[in-house]
Parts: sequence; C-alpha cells; structure tokens
Amino acid sequence: MRRYLRVGSVLFIVPALLLVLVSPGRPAAMPEIKVGTVLPLTGAFGSAGLYFRQGYQMAVDDVNNGGGLQVGSQKYHVNLIILDDGSNGTQSRSLVEKLVTDQHVNFLLGGYDTSLVEAQEVVPDQYKIPYVEGGGAASDIFKRGYKYLFGTLATVYDMGTTTADFLTYQMSQGKLPKPLTEAVVYENTDHGKDYINALTDEAKAHPDLFKIVLSQPFQLNGSDFSPLLQQVKAVNAEAFLSDAHLPDFITMQRQYLQLGMYSPFISYGARGPDQAGRRALGDGADYLVAALWWTPALKDPGSQLFTARYQQQFNATPDWFQALAYDTGRVLFAGVHNANSLDGTAVRDSLARLVFRSALIPGNVIRFGANGQIQGSPYVVVQNTPGNTVRIVWPRNLPETRDVTLPVPRMP
Amino acid sequence: MFTAQNLISIGIAALLTAGLYAAMSYGLALIYGVMKVINLSNAGFLMLGAFMTLVYSDAWHLDPMLGAVVNLPVFFLAGWLLYTLLVRRVMAALPIASLLLLFAVWLVLQNVALLIWGSDDHSIITAYTYKAVEILGFRVPLTRLLVFAFALGALGVLHVVLGRTYLGKALRATVQDPQAAVLAGIDTERISALAFGLGTALAAFAGGLLTLLFSFTPAFGTDLQLKSFTIIVLGGLESFTGVMVGAAIVSFAESYAVLFMRASLQNVLSYALLVVALVVMPGGVAQLWTRHRS
Repeated sequence: MRRYLRVGSVLFIVPALLLVLVSPGRPAAMPEIKVGTVLPLTGAFGSAGLYFRQGYQMAVDDVNNGGGLQVGSQKYHVNLIILDDGSNGTQSRSLVEKLVTDQHVNFLLGGYDTSLVEAQEVVPDQYKIPYVEGGGAASDIFKRGYKYLFGTLATVYDMGTTTADFLTYQMSQGKLPKPLTEAVVYENTDHGKDYINALTDEAKAHPDLFKIVLSQPFQLNGSDFSPLLQQVKAVNAEAFLSDAHLPDFITMQRQYLQLGMYSPFISYGARGPDQAGRRALGDGADYLVAALWWTPALKDPGSQLFTARYQQQFNATPDWFQALAYDTGRVLFAGVHNANSLDGTAVRDSLARLVFRSALIPGNVIRFGANGQIQGSPYVVVQNTPGNTVRIVWPRNLPETRDVTLPVPRMP
Repeated sequence: MFTAQNLISIGIAALLTAGLYAAMSYGLALIYGVMKVINLSNAGFLMLGAFMTLVYSDAWHLDPMLGAVVNLPVFFLAGWLLYTLLVRRVMAALPIASLLLLFAVWLVLQNVALLIWGSDDHSIITAYTYKAVEILGFRVPLTRLLVFAFALGALGVLHVVLGRTYLGKALRATVQDPQAAVLAGIDTERISALAFGLGTALAAFAGGLLTLLFSFTPAFGTDLQLKSFTIIVLGGLESFTGVMVGAAIVSFAESYAVLFMRASLQNVLSYALLVVALVVMPGGVAQLWTRHRS
C-alpha cells in the first residue's frame, strides 16, 4: 500500500513540479521586481478596489507580456502582490507595512480612497520605498511633507473649481439662473472638505454668481440620508451639489428621487457615470453631471484603445477607476525604467523628474509637483444621458465636447 | 428651516424610518428574549436576505416584497439548522462563546456572499422605486410607506402569534422563566430552535424589504446592526412593542437633530442614546412603562 502511495505521489508531484518550472510567465533566468498594493477588495469600497486591481493588473500585464521591465541592462518580471484591507484604515496601514517587511516589495502602488491612502501614506517614507497612488484625491494627502509619495489624481479642490467654472459658463449662456443658489452636502472627510472649501472660496470670490444656502457634512457610508435631504428640500436651491463616494451616492440619489426632489442642476462630484451607480439607479442617474479624471467618452487614441482592451478582457465598460489605476501603474514603471536602478531613492528622484506623455487622463501628461501631487487639474465634466451613455460637456476645447442639457429634465 | 411644513415633513420621514428600523430589529429582540443570545449574525442574514431577494427577482421577476415573504420559510429553515447544528452546542458555555460563534457565522456569510456576488453594489429597481403618494399635501415615497406597512404588519402578526397560539405562549413562558417553562412541560430546546429560526427569518425578511430602499453589498447591514442594538436596548431587549418604540426614539432623534447639529453626527447620536439607555434605564422603555404602571 505504502509503495503504491509513493508511486502515486511521484506520478503527481513530478509533473506538477515540471509544470511550475515550464509554466509560461517568465523565463527561468529573469529576475523579479515585487510591487505591492493594499486595496479594499471587500467592505464599503469593495467595488472600487476591484476596479483598481484590474487597472493595476493591466499595467503589469503590459510590462510582462512585453518581455519584462527594462532597468539598466537587465529585464525584470513584475510580480504584483495584492492584499485586501477590507476598507479598514488601520488594517490598510499595517498591511502596507507587512508588504514591506514580510514580502520585501521593491515598490508600492496606492489604495483607494482618500481615507485609506491617508492611512497608508506614512509607510513609504519610513522605508524609503516609492509609492504612487491614483485613488486618493484630497489635497491634505500631499500637505504632510512625504517625499516618497506621488499622486496621479487632480485634487478634489480642483474638482470644485472646475465645477464652478462650468457653472459660470452655463449661467453666461442663460441655462442656469444667476446668481445660482447652491445646497452643498459633503462627506465628513478630507475629500469632502476639499470640495466644500473650493465651492466656498468660489462663492466668496464671486458673490454675484454663487450663493451657498445650505452646507452640511454627512457621515461616510451612511445608511439613511432622508433627514439631510429634507433640509436640502427646505432650502429649495437651484443647484444640488454633493461630494459622495459610490455607496453614499447611490443611496442619496435614490432617496433624493424618492422624496420627489428636483433641482435644475445636480452633481455628485465625481459620481454619476460609474457603471455600478447606473446599474443601481437606472433612469434615476440620467442627466447627472460629474467632474471626472477620465471617461471612456474621451476620443484620444490611448483612451479608445484602453476602453476596447478593457471591454474585451472584462466584458464591461471601464470607469475612471480602472483608467487611473492603469496610468498609476505605468507611471511607476516609467519611473523605475528611467532610474536605471531598483534603489528606492533613485526611483523616487526619477519619479519626481518624470514627464509621462502617454497617460490616459485629459491632456495625456502626468508630471508631479514638489509635494508629489500631479500638476495641473486635468478634469473633464460629463453628463449622463439616457441609455447608459455619457457625453463630455466640459472643457469646451475638446473636439468631443457637446452641449449640456440644463436645466435637467424632471423625472416622469 | 423651522417652518411647520418642514417639521411635519421631517416627522413623516422619521416615522417611516422607524418602521424600517423596527423591521430589522425584531429578529434580534426575539432571539435575545428567548435565549439571551446576542445574535451577531443578524446583519449577515439581513444581507443574505437582500441577495436572495435579488436572486428571486432575477430568476423569476419576483417583486422584492414577495421576495421578502419567500425569505421567511427559507431562512426559518436556515436559522433552525444553524441553531441545531452549532448554537445549541455553546448554549451552556459562557455568553462570549455564542457571541464569538455568531460573529464567525457573520464573517462566513459575508465571505460566501463575496464569492458568489462579488463586491459590487447591487440593487433592485421596480416600477415603483421612484414613485410617491400625496398624503395631506405631503409627498411620501411609496417604497418607504410599504416598508413601514410591512413592519407594522409583522408586529401585528407577531402580536397575534405570541398572544393567541400555544407556540407564542410557550415562547413567552420561556422568555419569562426557562426553568418554570420546563416544569410546565414546555420543550424549551425546541422553542429555542423555533425562536432562532423565526429570528433569522425576520432578519432575512427585513433584508428583502430593504432592497426597496438601498443598494447592497456583502458588507450591507453592518451600520444597521449597530443601530438595531441601540433600538432593542431602548426597547427593553425582549419586547416587540418596545422595539417599535425604541425604533421611533432613534429615528425621531436622528431626524430632528439635523435641525440643530451637523448631519455627520447622526450616528454619534444613536450611540450616545445607547450609552444613556444602558446607564440610566437598562430595562429600556419597557422598564419605564412597568414602573409607571406599578
């Protein structure tokens, strides 16, 4: 019996070992670069975490399918290590540390959202490991003096000013009343504070254009917004502006419509065109306006190619999450390639000097300021249209920009 | 902000939210009442009830309200099995054992849901999702009204079952004094299994109803569970009418507080109420009512 077991084990184990050795992926002699990331694959931000994983994986596949990452005279296979923080900040930080101390990763890609990036961002400087993120957009992330931190998202403050510029133009075209009364609700995080700060600054600078009649923070991942929305209803503002993450956006917009509320202009910051949101809200997401870092409606060749590849690979339409994750991964690899070294400080300096010209974001260029944040505010404003489509409505200089439908039609 | 129109609107919204809160807390109160077990898996069954309602909707175009009703026998069986196979074995141990066991069950349920449905937000849109009815000039969302009606209906059915049937009397006897119930010939073991099954069914029933209002993920129910704890403590832990009153207290406090404080402090208010209830009136409103009567 024992003999049969031994023979059986050999029969199974030897081919298995051979398979491991000859499995496609990388030549046996190619050394490896370990890139680590901690994403919220479960919990409140699970959907977005999954999208980031897809985008990062596409960037890694690009490199590995192209024969590896060229660093100096050596090519390296990129091994992406992903851990799940369950959307929990404390866990997120300790898992990033675990990636460094246990897995000995060479470089780090960032998590999602602002709160989790803020939890993670302390680690890279401690270990002098470059960290590039595309999931945290609050300007506070970059005010703490970290040197190994780089962000590819324009700030939420810029999202607020972009929205204000867009509204100013619409007022000049007679599509919205002037001055515009605004009811602003925002999540009680640095993300939300950036948004309200931008809108408040705009209202102070242009009292003839904007009048904020309600400004209320709300708890992130809330379950019931009806008391807050009753307040919004009571002030009867012409514009309803909310800065919310995906789950809160879905709940709030659903309750907004159920309460029979109407404003000539509605925006949830960067939310609206997300596929998850459109599936969850159906017609209730039509005509929402969003300021985004990327949209598949962009017609530049890079965006079109990315959209087609993503659709082919995942049988779905990508949102900005995947595109920014893809850009973020490619920026890190470009930094490593240009550094000609795997040394953390050398790669950090290389990223600081980098001008990445094949990005998907509007303008296609990513370069970082002294604080590690992307320079410029490359936003596009889009409006959802019926049938799960979107159109770009801002900036005006893009060839694909179309007229916005304002005031938004009432839901039948 | 302090106009009569606004105050009444907030009051209506608070009343409807109270129905929602009560619906999701009945199961927790029932299980605690009979077994003195804090069912941490309640949120897991609430979430699973929502996903099963989605399954019925996708497969048979079943309306979420009917889906919630279908959940009752399905999850009664699941709860019965859970009690018989697992919970029963730790009943004699310290309370922490059942607490940890049910917490583990919750985590398992979350991960099973994650494997099956992924982490995306799911939702069910019906023909009446965005519809509302006018009542005395106030617009009331139809879905909230339905959830409220179902919560009241569930309270009524529970009232009849507990008051008029042998099962209900046996349940109440077990709640009041388990040893005396045994002496009176009640099979308390069987009653406990029934109570666990019924509590689980009520959680899944509420989960089905909540699909009318919210989108959901495998993490769905976590915040609501914390709110449920506040509600059953305020309600006196074992009383269904107390649950309704506790739900109303939480809901009205949260809703009107927005007039005086930041909306972001809504949850803080709920937990402050929990602390106050535990310190000042651990028996909840039921205790106050008993004191008043005596």
